[in-house]
Amino acid sequence: MAIKVNRRMMSAIFLVGISCGLVVTAQVSAVQELLAEYGREGAGKYNAVNGEKLWKRVQVDAKTGQKRSCVTCHTNDLRKPGKHARTGKLIKPMAPSVNADRLTDKKKIEKWFHRNCKWTLGRICTPQEKADILAYLANQ
Amino acid sequence: MVSSKLRVWDLPTKVFHWGLVLSFVAAWLLRGDRYLHLHVLAGYLFFFLLLFRLYWGLAGSFHARFSSFIRPLPEVWEYLKKATGRKAPRHLGHNPAGGWAVLLLMSLGLMISITGLLTLGVEEGHGPLAGILGREWAALFHASHQALAWAMLSMVGLHLVAVFRESVLHRENLPLAMLTGYKRTDTKARAENVQPHAAVALALLGVMLGFSLWWGRGYLLHSGNEPYLPFSGPMLSRNALWEEECGACHLAYHPSLLPRRSWNRLLTQQENHFSEDLYLDAGTISRLRAYAVTGEAGNTVTEASWKIHNSIPAAKTPVRITETGYWKNKHKDIPEKLWTRSDIGGRHNCTACHLDARQGWFEDGAMRIPFNEKNMTRIM
Repeated sequence: MAIKVNRRMMSAIFLVGISCGLVVTAQVSAVQELLAEYGREGAGKYNAVNGEKLWKRVQVDAKTGQKRSCVTCHTNDLRKPGKHARTGKLIKPMAPSVNADRLTDKKKIEKWFHRNCKWTLGRICTPQEKADILAYLANQ
Repeated sequence: MVSSKLRVWDLPTKVFHWGLVLSFVAAWLLRGDRYLHLHVLAGYLFFFLLLFRLYWGLAGSFHARFSSFIRPLPEVWEYLKKATGRKAPRHLGHNPAGGWAVLLLMSLGLMISITGLLTLGVEEGHGPLAGILGREWAALFHASHQALAWAMLSMVGLHLVAVFRESVLHRENLPLAMLTGYKRTDTKARAENVQPHAAVALALLGVMLGFSLWWGRGYLLHSGNEPYLPFSGPMLSRNALWEEECGACHLAYHPSLLPRRSWNRLLTQQENHFSEDLYLDAGTISRLRAYAVTGEAGNTVTEASWKIHNSIPAAKTPVRITETGYWKNKHKDIPEKLWTRSDIGGRHNCTACHLDARQGWFEDGAMRIPFNEKNMTRIM
């Protein structure tokens, strides 16, 4: 049976194509803009390998003595959902390749960097650290 | 004498008697929060049977009619004096003391039904009397409902003792007679079979069965992943920003679960939100604050919000729902090992047991402790 491609279908395909393109563009632009900003704030060339090391580095929390790393909540596989260490809340996958919403909103990225660096490392991250982690995550 | 046995109790009277027994026992066993939906069904059937019995006391067959068994009080006194000396005369229908016991039991039953409907309407906000009076009346109705139920249970006990004594004294099985409807004839009382009135009994059963099916239709027709919620709470305010920001890390606890001053404190000390720094901008904070203070517990829109609000001393500003007196009291019987179970995870995880936690309702009938990890769906 031949599939009739009518005008409505054509426009639907067109719209889907446009939105996929927009998401990818948003992601690229948010990451690019932030990397540029971190550069202006003093970060050197970003390094995804350093980003991965930092992501997996285990830190002992001064107050509780707990071992913490990004992996604690996000798990070792960025394509899989994670779990909030304290509340058990499901965390959607971090990898943009399986979760297109990731790394599309500059303000959100900054909020989570601030929040989670403080919890994991006990301090905010430097522009260099943020640039490296962003470079690492963007490729996932 | 044509027959040694006579039909004394017609079918509707038997259906009433055993239906009342079953609905009373069911309502008693299903008391408390967890099975409220079924407790209320048992209550409606109980009430309906009593109303029917009032009608049947006027329109039923001879021994079912009040006029045949309500005797003047001096006669009741005489009977009781003879009964204590084990010389009570045999009666084909209700004896004079039993007749008044029927009236007393029915009055208690009707009062239980009415206080039950009032409790349902005022405390829970459900049923035909939903919200007719302020929640401050709830405790009175609830306590009366319970006290009346205990009074009726005591009367049932007395009834059972009397039935046993009379059965022994006259060497006849009275409970069996209430099942078969037949008693032996050796008195000069009205020696005629009563009409069975099968059609009325069938209609009675049909109405009760139909109502039960209609009441439980949600369980029968429900499909899909979301659990069936027997009670729907009031329309509560919703806010997309609240859901997103709070819901990012935990259940977006509805503002109706803490008072205004608590939300103000929580949002003011956002750098130390249970030892996390939220890092929300001032605009977001003020929008979250605006939503929280308009939906706060002081509005007492739900039973939970009302009770939480009342349990917080004016000088206290709790930042955890689990710090409030009402919450603590309601959860005091839950063993510690349940909280730490992997599928529950802690006191913060309302959704583990409250199926309508996301809606903010916390209806009694929507609460259950999950059996194990398999049937547990964590929706937050």
